[in-house]
Amino acid sequence: MTAAAVMPPIPITRYSGVMDWLTTVDHKKIGLMYFWFTVTMGIVGGFFAGAIRVQLATPGAVIESIQAAHLAGVELPFNLFSENRALFNQMVTMHASVMIFFTIIPGFIAFANYVVPLMVGARDMAFPKMNAFGFWLLIPAAMLMLSSFFVQGGAASSGWTAYPPLSLEGAGSNPGQDMWIMGVHLAGVSSILAAINFIVTIASLKAPEMKWRDLPLFVWATFFTSIIQLTATPVLAAAVTMILLDRNFGTTFTIASSGGDPVLYQHIFWFYSHPAVYIMILPGFGAISHIFAAFSCKRVFGYLSMVLAVGAITLLGFTVWAHHMFSVGMSPELAYYFQVASLLIGVPTGIKVFNWLATMWGGTIRFTTAMMFACGFICLFVLGGFGGLILALVAVDFTLTDTYFVVGHFHMVLVGGSVMLLFAMTYYWWPKMTGHMLSEKLGKWVFWLMFIGVFVTFFAMHLSGANGMVRRVPVYFADFKFSNYLTTFGYLLTIVSSLLFYADLFLSYRRPKITVDDPWKINDVQQSFEWATSCPPPVYNFVTVPPIPVLDQMSDGHAVRDKTLGDGDKPRETDKPTH
Amino acid sequence: MLRLLSLVCLMAVTMWGGVPTVVAADPSKPVPVPMPAPVAGVDPVDHDVDTFNPNVYSLDESGHGPKHVTRSPFTDPASDIARQVTSVTWFSSLVFLPFLVLPLLLLLYVIFKFRDTGDGRKPATFTGNHTLEIVWTVIPCVALVVVSFPTWFILDHMEAPPVHQKDRMAVRVTGKKFAWDYKYLGIYKDAKAEEKQEIAVGQFLGIQEPLVLAKGRAVELHMTSDDVNHAWWIPPFGVKKDCIKGRDTYAWFTPDTIGFFKGQCAELCGDGHGLMIITAVVVEKPDFARFIALQRVKDDTLKVWTAIQPPPGTAIDDKVLREAVAGFLAKGRSPERQYALRFWIACNYATLQRVPPPTGVTIAEIFGAAKGGGAAEIAAAIRTRRAMVDALLKELGAVASADASTEVAPISVVALPVIAPSVVVTVATGAQP
Repeated sequence: MTAAAVMPPIPITRYSGVMDWLTTVDHKKIGLMYFWFTVTMGIVGGFFAGAIRVQLATPGAVIESIQAAHLAGVELPFNLFSENRALFNQMVTMHASVMIFFTIIPGFIAFANYVVPLMVGARDMAFPKMNAFGFWLLIPAAMLMLSSFFVQGGAASSGWTAYPPLSLEGAGSNPGQDMWIMGVHLAGVSSILAAINFIVTIASLKAPEMKWRDLPLFVWATFFTSIIQLTATPVLAAAVTMILLDRNFGTTFTIASSGGDPVLYQHIFWFYSHPAVYIMILPGFGAISHIFAAFSCKRVFGYLSMVLAVGAITLLGFTVWAHHMFSVGMSPELAYYFQVASLLIGVPTGIKVFNWLATMWGGTIRFTTAMMFACGFICLFVLGGFGGLILALVAVDFTLTDTYFVVGHFHMVLVGGSVMLLFAMTYYWWPKMTGHMLSEKLGKWVFWLMFIGVFVTFFAMHLSGANGMVRRVPVYFADFKFSNYLTTFGYLLTIVSSLLFYADLFLSYRRPKITVDDPWKINDVQQSFEWATSCPPPVYNFVTVPPIPVLDQMSDGHAVRDKTLGDGDKPRETDKPTH
Repeated sequence: MLRLLSLVCLMAVTMWGGVPTVVAADPSKPVPVPMPAPVAGVDPVDHDVDTFNPNVYSLDESGHGPKHVTRSPFTDPASDIARQVTSVTWFSSLVFLPFLVLPLLLLLYVIFKFRDTGDGRKPATFTGNHTLEIVWTVIPCVALVVVSFPTWFILDHMEAPPVHQKDRMAVRVTGKKFAWDYKYLGIYKDAKAEEKQEIAVGQFLGIQEPLVLAKGRAVELHMTSDDVNHAWWIPPFGVKKDCIKGRDTYAWFTPDTIGFFKGQCAELCGDGHGLMIITAVVVEKPDFARFIALQRVKDDTLKVWTAIQPPPGTAIDDKVLREAVAGFLAKGRSPERQYALRFWIACNYATLQRVPPPTGVTIAEIFGAAKGGGAAEIAAAIRTRRAMVDALLKELGAVASADASTEVAPISVVALPVIAPSVVVTVATGAQP
């Protein structure tokens, strides 16, 4: 590039090796650290899930067998949590907390961190040091939560929802719940910092010629997600702070006998935690649009309605929280409002699904692993969404709430949805992030095992729930034996798939580096900055705005808008290298 | 089709508002307590014990046990509410089904039709189609409107107090770690004593006693909790509400299937959450009246029970037993009372047989049988002890059987005062948890 001659990179003395990673403020390195943090935490959370599944597949989980053994005075052959049922509740709590706060949410932040500045043609995030701070906050957050297994009384055991009065128990003697709250606080601060950073980066660091309507969909999705994170996370902090104060400082926000109300906590908690489910999927919605377009050799169908749909989901997401708690008893009019609002979210979501299908329509589709994960995502997400429509109906929800149907539903959309999306994004962007290709051959195995495993696991959970099995129990009636064994079998498939995936990640580093900017040969359709730079991109990404044409996202014509970003060699005024 | 029809009928009824007025039973005309119909070769006491006292230990390892154990909320609905919920579930599923099937079919079509076969086909270049986008925005909205109407009527029906039900009763459900207390409110009144007599059902020997309900009689549940949140749910009844300390949640249904029902606490409540088991028995109305009559004399029978079943290692003291039975009869010696005593002794033994013995004691030791005594030996011991009580009743109870009917007033059924569902009534002001 001639640009390099015009403005040479400013020489900066840097550490190397481990110290480089510890002190870096480079959004790409931080993105990769987020990614490996996510992978590590995924293993931990998966281990907790395994402990739960093993318990639920043993004779000690069947109530009738337990009673019979009781009467006969014999021990059941293999019973994981018979001596310590509290430990089971701790596993349930920590599985959810680790998966939500440390796996899925940072998972999307990892990719957003890496890709968003590239996509908008920026050299880094707007606040690079804050970016690093946000990542490093996650480490003590995770340590606090996980180390609470070793304190007196063990880890928090009141579920990730931490409903009082259960979460108020053990105040003063069992610090596990307090450590959990502190962990949530730290993770929340990290989340808020990341959100501010993304909003500012997207709003003010996008390439000068790039208008809002030119933004790639992943950037839009990250923008809306950040708005949710910024506005909802403080509410979560408020909710868990009430618990913290009630436990330790004698307040009575949630204590009924002193004039408080435990239901107040539930409302405030879900005011965050419902939007949080969109934090866990909207960035993936954006990314998947790129994957469909790229591997169909087409442009995204209905750009404007895609953006509006994400915006609508963001807005509506704030108005439906009480559908998690119909059974606490509220007036039928109020419950009905939440039903209608919840169902309404299905409309923009449906728009997105149909738009993705229309994006593929008429294309020449290449089934790379990323594309297969994207198609698998549609399949599982639609299934999970169908369960959601049924659950939104208040009258039916009275039967189904707090059963395995709910568990099956949200795992189908979180694992079948978010996690499949994360896999798709990894396979799609891994070459860009590391310069190494993941194995397409191994990838097919990863996909099929994961797809079948996820489907079996969570479809069987729907069956258990529809037949009447309640959630968060270490024991169940003999009626649910078969569907539970099926779930555990599906879990084993997903574990094999995950192990293959981890192996592939490590193996990829041993493969030769790729030398092309655009290994998927897609940038003639994508026209996005991230594929117009090397793999991985150099430090500070772009010396000048790269000379690629901006995609006019809304024209239905054949040509892109007649405009090329950057003059090729004129340095950008807004962009100073920072350290 | 039938389900759709029933749904339409329900909507019609609800909209028309055709609610029958409450017919109050006349308290001055007592309804006699029906005794069980005699069955050849079976002691009616054993029949009643089987009916009223199944618990979770009665289930065998394949999940079967007492007659008619039902489980699934959608395939075996056992109340009017559950039936309506089932039909609205099917109806909504049918309306929503196209939005599940259509994307999947389109996805399959796209995958096979547009895959890159390397024949150099040029991809299409369109990037939008306003008509199509409007179509797939509007059609889901229409589906939502279609589903909205029946779901509202059913919700309204579920949440309003069942004033249209002629026959109903109310039960206070209190969850506590890790068991349930039930209190029958508002339907049974002692004709002699004017104040309302509440009947409480809870646990015996650490085992949850079932909630007994009458087939065809609407039951209003007023739920609350003594400690942390719980949720009361028996799947085939189609209602679930959280039990929250300081709040009074409300649900009602009319059970319409005779049988034994089971469920688990549905809100995480601590270590024993999974084993916080809910049991219920639905019986015919006459049987229910008898159950309530039996409950009334339960406390009086406790002395006899402690006399016939002294602590392990102690022999039965004949004198104490005779005094206990005489004391029981001194309060009234009507055949109903004597039957109740025989019932409770049998009932307690049935429970005792199903409960794991206390640590360090075998069940054989409890009965003073030889160590390692088998089931047959224990059954024989129980038979002997029940016979001892029967003999004493025969000896002491026959003395004044002539004036039996005058001593204890028969039990009457009184109409229930309407108890409004109060969603946010603070009921408990106990100690801080």
